[in-house]
Amino acid sequence: MTDGRRIILDGRPIPYEDGDSVAVAVMRAGEHPQHGGTICLAGDCGNCAAAVDSVAYVRTCQTRARPGLVVRRHPAVGEPALPAVDKMNLAGYAPAPRIRVQREEADLVVIGAGDSGAAAATNAERQGRTVTVLDAHDEMEVVAVYAGPTIIVRTRGGMLHINAREVVVATGAAELHPVCPGSSLIGLVTARAARQLHAAGVHLGVAVAIGPAPSGVPSIPLQGRLLRFEGEGRVMGVVMADEGSDRERTTACDTVILDLGNSPRDLLSRMSGDLPVTVVGPAADAFPLPECPTTGTVCPCSNVSVEDLQGVWDRGFRELELVKRASLVGTGTCQGSVCLPYVRSFIADRTGGIPDPFTARPASRQITLAEAAAGVHIDAFRRTPLHDEHIALGARMDRFGGWWRPWHYGDHVAEYWSVREAVSLGDVSTLGKLIVSGPDAVEFLERLYPTNIADIRVGRSRYALLLNERGHLMDDGMICREAESRFVLTFTSAGASHAEMWVRDWVDTLGLRVHVLDRTMSLAAINVTGPLAGQLLERVGLSEQPRFLQHVRAEVAGVPCHVMRLSFTGEMSFELHHAVERSVELWRSLMAHGHDLGIAPHGLQALQALRLEKGNVIVGMDSELDSTPRRLGMEWAVKMDKPDFIGRSALARTAQLPDDRRLVGLTMPGMAPIEGSPIWFDHEVIGHVASSFTSPVLGHAVMLGWLKRAPFPEQVEVDGRSASVVRPPFYDPEGSRARA
Amino acid sequence: MLALEVLQGVRVVAAPEALDAARWGDQTVVLRFAADDAFAIGATDTDLADEHAIIVGETAFVGAWLTDDELDAWVIPHIEWPLPDHRPDLAQGFVAGVPAKLWLTEGRTLLLCPAAYAHELSERLR
Repeated sequence: MTDGRRIILDGRPIPYEDGDSVAVAVMRAGEHPQHGGTICLAGDCGNCAAAVDSVAYVRTCQTRARPGLVVRRHPAVGEPALPAVDKMNLAGYAPAPRIRVQREEADLVVIGAGDSGAAAATNAERQGRTVTVLDAHDEMEVVAVYAGPTIIVRTRGGMLHINAREVVVATGAAELHPVCPGSSLIGLVTARAARQLHAAGVHLGVAVAIGPAPSGVPSIPLQGRLLRFEGEGRVMGVVMADEGSDRERTTACDTVILDLGNSPRDLLSRMSGDLPVTVVGPAADAFPLPECPTTGTVCPCSNVSVEDLQGVWDRGFRELELVKRASLVGTGTCQGSVCLPYVRSFIADRTGGIPDPFTARPASRQITLAEAAAGVHIDAFRRTPLHDEHIALGARMDRFGGWWRPWHYGDHVAEYWSVREAVSLGDVSTLGKLIVSGPDAVEFLERLYPTNIADIRVGRSRYALLLNERGHLMDDGMICREAESRFVLTFTSAGASHAEMWVRDWVDTLGLRVHVLDRTMSLAAINVTGPLAGQLLERVGLSEQPRFLQHVRAEVAGVPCHVMRLSFTGEMSFELHHAVERSVELWRSLMAHGHDLGIAPHGLQALQALRLEKGNVIVGMDSELDSTPRRLGMEWAVKMDKPDFIGRSALARTAQLPDDRRLVGLTMPGMAPIEGSPIWFDHEVIGHVASSFTSPVLGHAVMLGWLKRAPFPEQVEVDGRSASVVRPPFYDPEGSRARA
Repeated sequence: MLALEVLQGVRVVAAPEALDAARWGDQTVVLRFAADDAFAIGATDTDLADEHAIIVGETAFVGAWLTDDELDAWVIPHIEWPLPDHRPDLAQGFVAGVPAKLWLTEGRTLLLCPAAYAHELSERLR
């Protein structure tokens, strides 16, 4: 031993020897890694768990001692404290070190390098298979087996994720712990632990052995039935009784060595379900269960006693999984390794049948959040090419439909007025955009959409719903005809990915000659909207402007654009679709040329208000999963006289059913209630508010809401106030401003 | 940080046999995203025996050429799927949770993704 070989236990340096685990070093110093309980030194129980280098619940018997390692024992009562974090000063904390992940493909993985594992590996290699052996002693600690099977391994260098064809679990057997009064005292060790401690030169004092005495370890064998351990903090004696007798015998001792039998160490196989996992060796053995305990702590991790088990039993929880959930037995650090045999014995004693072990779930070991999250990535959110422009303009960016989008630029009401009274720019690059081309393009779109396609003239566009086979709304957007057999389709930002898959699926299903290209991320789009939009576009070169629902290819500020005239805001609007690399140039030019017109960008918050005044539905916000055009009040967008389209037969059938659900417009004086507010009628909730906004131009609240009880009343109550059911749009019902 | 640059080219969706027969310049790298979908990096146009083919300029992909060592160090730890053995070959899937593609050739690999994801990919491969 040298002076450098010290770990720090609760602030006090203690020496260790070469080869010591932390637990052995602690016990060599006459201490216990916790505050008592049987020590197995095999990683099976949680009785040596402590905080190591600030990570709690580390099994110290599986951790090599090394100079300066800081070990802090968990409190005797309660949980180890979480690190205190000053939420106001997160920048002051160094990020946790990144846990590296290595990924491998494997043929056969054998977990456990003991006798049975080695035999399984040798046999497999003889059959020409490639074998990977993982063993905790080699610092390859398997913590989980997932579907795949994928094996999650904690290694010295980080985490290892192995995709295997087949897995063999050869993890051996665990030693039984005692369940009786005094089992939480210091000085109780299993036979294997005693051998390890003796070999390491740890002095055990006067040791007594219950069960077969470990060879080579000086101990006094005790016969009879174990009743309890006695002592104050540390064991001082063992009380036994002869079989068939109540006469107690007390033997004084410093250490009790316990060999009470074994149980299969099969946690990993129990989390494998029906995966290709084979269990071999002692892990597959059916060891006899211990006698049913009558008193004492069954589950030291969750502090569940025999009396607690009896309590849940008496309340009617009489299956193993239910007993587990009701009492929390087996849910602690060791995940049932210590208590499961006793709980099975408890139930067998009361039912006459031995229950199967309970299911295990990852992870079998306490792993840190960093280890669990290693290699896992949060969803990636896209940025439009104008992202930095928005930031520079003071936008508050947020995530919508898989994109970072500006929610507002500081004053959403001012943004609203710039649209209603002047001109404004909106970044709509996130809209879905598909090109559909081919000799069967018209036929395909006629089958896809509930609107007529053939009569859309080249250069014209039409709003369309996208329905599924049940006639429920999936998405909406525009259909722009570019040529006889070529169309551009747009979809909502959030629905674009699904819509693309939907379109491709139907192209394949129908077997039509149609090409499809997704341009969602290839094209940016700027919506120029407001009564002065046309004037602005004229300044930047668009003198021949498309009329409402027309579209043209033209240069705008020198940038080639596909210009679509439509309106979501209720004002004159032109969507300028263009190549992403020209987007900043176009945006800046429009902003500069619109300066004296009062141009300002608008974010999503203003946009949602603008479109609400027009009664324009946002799919997924106003619609529900089973919203039909009738329920949405959008039957005008469905041409039932078409011979066929997706959802037609369902709409024909449901048209015969009672009309008992409807999206309606609602108005009321004053401020708008929050979205989601219940709608009341006759003291009953009959629906809810889907969208709401206090309209600046109208001076009162406007809403879209669902009424789900017929007949639909004309007056309802929302937020304790009377609201009128009206037919949207609330603003410019003739649409004259959009068509201007 | 990984320096991703815009990849200029032509995107073509056409009948697979027409794409198979298409001829490209010597400097063009043609990535077949699907049987009917190709991205020809460096190309400006193409002639195809498919009158309904969609042929458009494509500037929405960014990428970086990596040596084998760079591929091993930066990319391999972030993919959960096996790479193809043949070269050249196109592999497509998540890299560090970002939808990306790898054009694997002898000695070097082009890592590419949509420009909308460029910041995410660069950040995650640091």
